[in-house]
Amino acid sequence: MSQPNAQDAALALQAIALRQQQVIDEVDMPAWYWGGLGAAWVGLGVVIDLDHPWLTTAATVLFGAAHASGFSRANAGRRRTGRLSVRADVVGRHVTALVLAFIVVLGAATVALSLLASADGARHPATFAGVAVGIAVACGGPTLMAALRRRRASQLQVAA
Amino acid sequence: MSAEPQFDELIHPSTRLSIVALLASADWVDFGFARDSLRLSDSALSKQFSTLEDAGYVAVERTRSDRRSRVRVRLTPAGRAAFDGHVAALRAVLATANGDGLADPGPATPRKA
Repeated sequence: MSQPNAQDAALALQAIALRQQQVIDEVDMPAWYWGGLGAAWVGLGVVIDLDHPWLTTAATVLFGAAHASGFSRANAGRRRTGRLSVRADVVGRHVTALVLAFIVVLGAATVALSLLASADGARHPATFAGVAVGIAVACGGPTLMAALRRRRASQLQVAA
Repeated sequence: MSAEPQFDELIHPSTRLSIVALLASADWVDFGFARDSLRLSDSALSKQFSTLEDAGYVAVERTRSDRRSRVRVRLTPAGRAAFDGHVAALRAVLATANGDGLADPGPATPRKA
């Protein structure tokens, strides 16, 4: 086989980009992750409203441990399903930091909402804040990952 | 990517190029994922994997999980080097055609596709 001409080379590079995009499309957390995290957020709010410090501490530690385990199992978006593992350099270095920053920001939002609700005289401020932020986690998480995928695809196109 | 341009005749046919490109972005790929993504039959995909495995470009691993046999395929370091060199060669062809003349596409490997 002789060397390809420019048109063949361009078509081959397009085919390669298409396959790379198929793999990038798989960068995501598993389906259970965001829903489970949102539900756990609500549960933690309910526990905090029970107003037992030892129970709150235990639930917070359990929440942190469960999240660390789930996040690790998902391999920071590299194993949405058991059908492939995306290479770390394709996912990019910042996904883990961005997802964790997203969770930290929402944690701060939970505290702020809870304090506001408490100042407003709500009977269950932490539950209220937990439900609000839990919904934000369940809906915002997939949106965040979709944005990260789009950003990564454009970065890799530029680098190509 | 800074690989030396090296046109690879084994990789270049469109089906094999698609397979290797898919594997190049992943640590490993399940056989079913590759079959569905590439829209190939089991037998056609197996045949291509065998050719690539014989060349030392891919490694096929058979595992059992949940009582089901699974086949995982990964690109070997030799396969990755060949793919990187092939991509560099394709880019060199385009660069030459565009008048950039940045790189020579390199010699074609003597393999028969």
